[in-house]
Amino acid sequence: MSNLTNTDKIELYRKLVHTRKHDELNVRMASEGKLRTFYHSAQGHEAIGVGACSVLHKDDYLYPHLRGHGIPYVVGKGMDPKPSVSEHLGKATGWGGGITGVHIVDKENGIFAQGGTIGSAFVLSAGFALAAKKNGTGQVCMCFVGDGSVQRGQAHEAMNLASCWKLPVVWVVENNLMAWFTPCCDSFALKNIADMAKSYNMPGKVIDGMDVFAVREAAEEAVDLARKGDGPSMLECKTYRFRPHSEGRPDVCHYLPRSEEEIAEWKKRDPLVLCQKKLVKEKILTKNLIDEIELEADEKAKETEKFALESPYPDPSILNTLVYAP
Amino acid sequence: MKEINYWQAIAEALAEEMERDETVFIIGENVQEAPFMATRELIQRFGPERVMDAPLSELAIAGATVGAACAGYRPVCDLNFADFIYCAADEILLKAAQQNFAHAGKVNAPCVFLGVAGGGFGTGPEHSHVPSAMVLNNPGLKLVLPSTPYDAKGLMKTAIRDNNPVCYFFHKKLMGLKQEIPEDEYLIPLGQADIKREGTDVTVVATLYMVHHALEAAKQLEGKISVEVIDPRSLEPLDMDTIIESIKKTNRVVVVDEDTQRCGVAAEIGQQIMELAFDYLDAPVARVCSANMPVAGAEMEKYCIPQVEQVVAAIQSVCY
Repeated sequence: MSNLTNTDKIELYRKLVHTRKHDELNVRMASEGKLRTFYHSAQGHEAIGVGACSVLHKDDYLYPHLRGHGIPYVVGKGMDPKPSVSEHLGKATGWGGGITGVHIVDKENGIFAQGGTIGSAFVLSAGFALAAKKNGTGQVCMCFVGDGSVQRGQAHEAMNLASCWKLPVVWVVENNLMAWFTPCCDSFALKNIADMAKSYNMPGKVIDGMDVFAVREAAEEAVDLARKGDGPSMLECKTYRFRPHSEGRPDVCHYLPRSEEEIAEWKKRDPLVLCQKKLVKEKILTKNLIDEIELEADEKAKETEKFALESPYPDPSILNTLVYAP
Repeated sequence: MKEINYWQAIAEALAEEMERDETVFIIGENVQEAPFMATRELIQRFGPERVMDAPLSELAIAGATVGAACAGYRPVCDLNFADFIYCAADEILLKAAQQNFAHAGKVNAPCVFLGVAGGGFGTGPEHSHVPSAMVLNNPGLKLVLPSTPYDAKGLMKTAIRDNNPVCYFFHKKLMGLKQEIPEDEYLIPLGQADIKREGTDVTVVATLYMVHHALEAAKQLEGKISVEVIDPRSLEPLDMDTIIESIKKTNRVVVVDEDTQRCGVAAEIGQQIMELAFDYLDAPVARVCSANMPVAGAEMEKYCIPQVEQVVAAIQSVCY
């Protein structure tokens, strides 16, 4: 942490607030029936994408997790989250041209693909990392997955392959203790997912996923290893989702409502609140600055909404031209 | 000209393309020793960085292929048996096939999925299939099915240079087939059928080993029925023009395909013939395909996959 300047710390806080505001925008627009697709809120998860992606270089490869449909990761990497809402409204200015409503792609920033079948993230990111290694320019791939992804076979095939070949990939597992409606305690034989890393002879660490500084520090270490050629690592960030699995869905554990006490307990450790408290205590954040950042993020979200609403839909005649690349 | 066999033709195409373009590499199971020959002797020339023996993890191999392709490489992924495409279905059908479409044409995935296909060695239901229809049911994938050494080489070179994922299935029974091919470099475009034998009475459309069944049937019927044999060589893209031109001449057609009959390639080609050339037909389109059952192994195999006698009978049945 010592290498973080006050400016760096404020920047992390700023990114958390921007992420939350954009997520809230998507959630509101989903409730208004304006999103033309589904949405999986990132509220509660923000520190992970923001903290870990803030250590990436522009040319590093990134595979975002479905939470927030990419918002925490692109904001963390310093990109503009504007195309997110456009995509969800099915507009041509979206990340994926409004074709799928959800997928992110931004070649310039090292985002090549996103998939809907979780678990693929593991093997595709191994492929990006293979390319990074072949390039020989010190690039790394950072890939975000949920606890549910680790339950698929791809996770294990990819960890084994990447560890054998010392691929420069960092897998960040956002363990929110629940895959859809099924809690981890009923679907994992292990208490800590990070322990699986040992089986593949790679480092695995449990991190407090609500603490943006802890995530950033761990990510920095893992990225350094990958850049040096020491191969893959796994970071298990313990976190909690504050909203249902996806908007408009029942918020249940198995088939019964999630415990309100549990949600309230975790909200005390809201990543934005934790970060703010710490920086106020360190006298880095002032009331004025907090208000300023809040206002700026509100303005940015408004701009994003306006941009999305005013953007055109893609011309359906392009669909047929996209099935095959020229 | 020089004489070369089928697997050597594939290996030669791979070597030429690897020489020409350093983004081309091979990844797969046992690709260095190459039990199915296609990648044999490439390890000595290109080393383990470009001829990569991977763990027996089809999802990881295919996923790494797609990922590297998105990031600017042109990997050739050797699945060994074409049937193993099912093990890697998530990555090949949902990711590779849909990559360009689902990302608005901003990032494509140029790669080749190589698999040895078909029956003839009694290897049973999980090692004897030609899973063509399944590939065609996933728009975004191309499908190449070479029946000769000349085609195998020219089509492989084109497949590697294509900007899309291409499934390239070669046939077990053709491995030792020899043919003279040009010394100089050549490519064969995808979507260009080849007339393997000219005839006037009936058109037989076939791919892979079935081309040779069709040619054998044509030989047996010589003097009685004049058979034209058309090999589309790739089923996506599919050259229907050459097939339709032939039917305008012969007015009768048999489609032979080693994939399962139900919802298969022959049904698709037959339907397209109905839509494009109904008025030219003097007999219903006939088809000879693998039976609607898994492919049995050992002695029972021949009751499941098309035999020459069935092709002869089908030709006779439309030539009334």
